[in-house]
Amino acid sequence: MKVRAIGLQDFRNVAGARLEFEGRLQFLVGANGQGKTNLLEAVGFITALRSFRSNDQSSLVRHGEREGAIACDIEHETEGASNLRVNFKPGTKEAWLDGTKVTRLAEVIGRFPTVVFSSQDQQLVRGSPGDRRRWLDLTLSATDREYLKALQAYHRALADRNALLKRSGSDAELEAFERVMADQGMVLIERRREALAELAIGLTERYAMIADHAETAGFAYAPQVAAPDGAALLAKFAGGRARDRILKSTGSGPHRDDFDFLLHEKPAKEFASEGQQRALVLSLRLAQAAWFRSRSKIEPVLLADDVLGELDPSRRERFWSAIPADSQVIATGTVPPDAALGEWQVFQVANGLFAPATPPPPVASR
Amino acid sequence: MTPSLENLQHALKKLPGLGYRSAERVALHLLLEKPESLPALVEALQSAAAAVRRCDRCGHLAEDDLCAICQDEKREPSVVCVVENVPDVVALERSGAYRGSYHVLHGKLSPLQGIGPDQLNLSSFKTRLEAGAIDEVILALSNDVEGEATCHFLTSEIIPMGGQIKVTRIGFGLPSGGGVLYADSVTLKSALEGRRGYA
Ligand SMILES: [Zn+2]
Repeated sequence: MKVRAIGLQDFRNVAGARLEFEGRLQFLVGANGQGKTNLLEAVGFITALRSFRSNDQSSLVRHGEREGAIACDIEHETEGASNLRVNFKPGTKEAWLDGTKVTRLAEVIGRFPTVVFSSQDQQLVRGSPGDRRRWLDLTLSATDREYLKALQAYHRALADRNALLKRSGSDAELEAFERVMADQGMVLIERRREALAELAIGLTERYAMIADHAETAGFAYAPQVAAPDGAALLAKFAGGRARDRILKSTGSGPHRDDFDFLLHEKPAKEFASEGQQRALVLSLRLAQAAWFRSRSKIEPVLLADDVLGELDPSRRERFWSAIPADSQVIATGTVPPDAALGEWQVFQVANGLFAPATPPPPVASR
Repeated sequence: MTPSLENLQHALKKLPGLGYRSAERVALHLLLEKPESLPALVEALQSAAAAVRRCDRCGHLAEDDLCAICQDEKREPSVVCVVENVPDVVALERSGAYRGSYHVLHGKLSPLQGIGPDQLNLSSFKTRLEAGAIDEVILALSNDVEGEATCHFLTSEIIPMGGQIKVTRIGFGLPSGGGVLYADSVTLKSALEGRRGYA
């Protein structure tokens, strides 16, 4: 798909803006803190109706305003020309697709895929388990309706179980909800296992293109129950009751699962260098986009937040060669883009305002 | 607005489907446009409140000890369909596909909303099961997390399993997450016919 235009209204530091995109390469140039990433965040929002930067929706609306909005014109492989609008209202959000209000937001999730490349991505390798889980849940939810359903049901049952723990519910009541958690949890574990196995193949391929030497890349996913059946998970929940009652929260289960990135069969967070970790997360995002394309037949829009400028010219060129030739790329940076990579449509960003800069100022690559 | 009118409007606003504006409209209608209809309405409300109670056996609405369904000799009392609420009974009755009896729980387990087994109509269900005249229990609770958990609770705590009682679940063919209330008659009929064994 391609994003053809995006409008923002009271979104972050942007009071109002509308950008029309031509061709497949857009570049937002400006100093830090001017609003470049806010625009990428808005484009990225249309994929899962969630921000890739924050879980706090109230921070998305411009300071001092009650409501804000994003509107996107999209050219889509299966839906044709589409318009998606998201309105942020106090404590809620609503989506409008081609002028019709979307009653179940889950119907929109994953329909408009984007993949974000961020300078923060190395946190996926060495950051907290929560960061990795969030990435995995978002990636799978966007392509797999069944996963999203199981994830929502699991978390609902988990919240019910935690409510029981807080007011000393009986073992029989706990078990009733644990059985729901075990059924849904098994779906999560199996789908995570399958997805990571598939993604590992793409990860290795892209890593070979971006790093100077080929090494196998992959994931080590060890769910808290190894046995592939719900009975083991059920026993795990039952066994944790005494501790969970004291802590008043559910200490183990798929909501606490984690995985490691592997490079050459070893955990990358301990053994990989800074440069290897960076190449690994770039490869991960490319593998994620390819995986999405193979599953949904829709070409994701790639959002590169301040990553091109951080790569040295030879690695930048290798990264560029790994990007599909027809993908739309919307990138940001503090200096104008590398003209060697293609013909960019450039926007100058200052203080929440976006001005087309044409013709793109050519900058020779070093 | 007078204090009594405001009072009436507040009481009406608590009814399902009535918001602030429509409550105001109904209140003004009753007091100004059709005051002659008021005594009949008050009388109907009072006599309904005095007469309507829960069926001792199944929890459905009744005016005697037993509801009309439990009293009906043509119904099959050995088959019991367990539902969450009275409107579910109404929907199943409208489909005309079911000739057994019911048991209305008046809710489902929902710890997040503070609803536990003590808040559900379970003791009379236990009594019915212990009396030994039930051959089949059909669980017709909603397909959502709380509906599923309630089914698990019933089969582990209330219904003696592994005995002569056959337990089935309908849910297949029902709108996901919704109860029987939201399904049309044709869907309900095929869901009932396609009910599956539940363990
Ligand atoms: Zn009855």
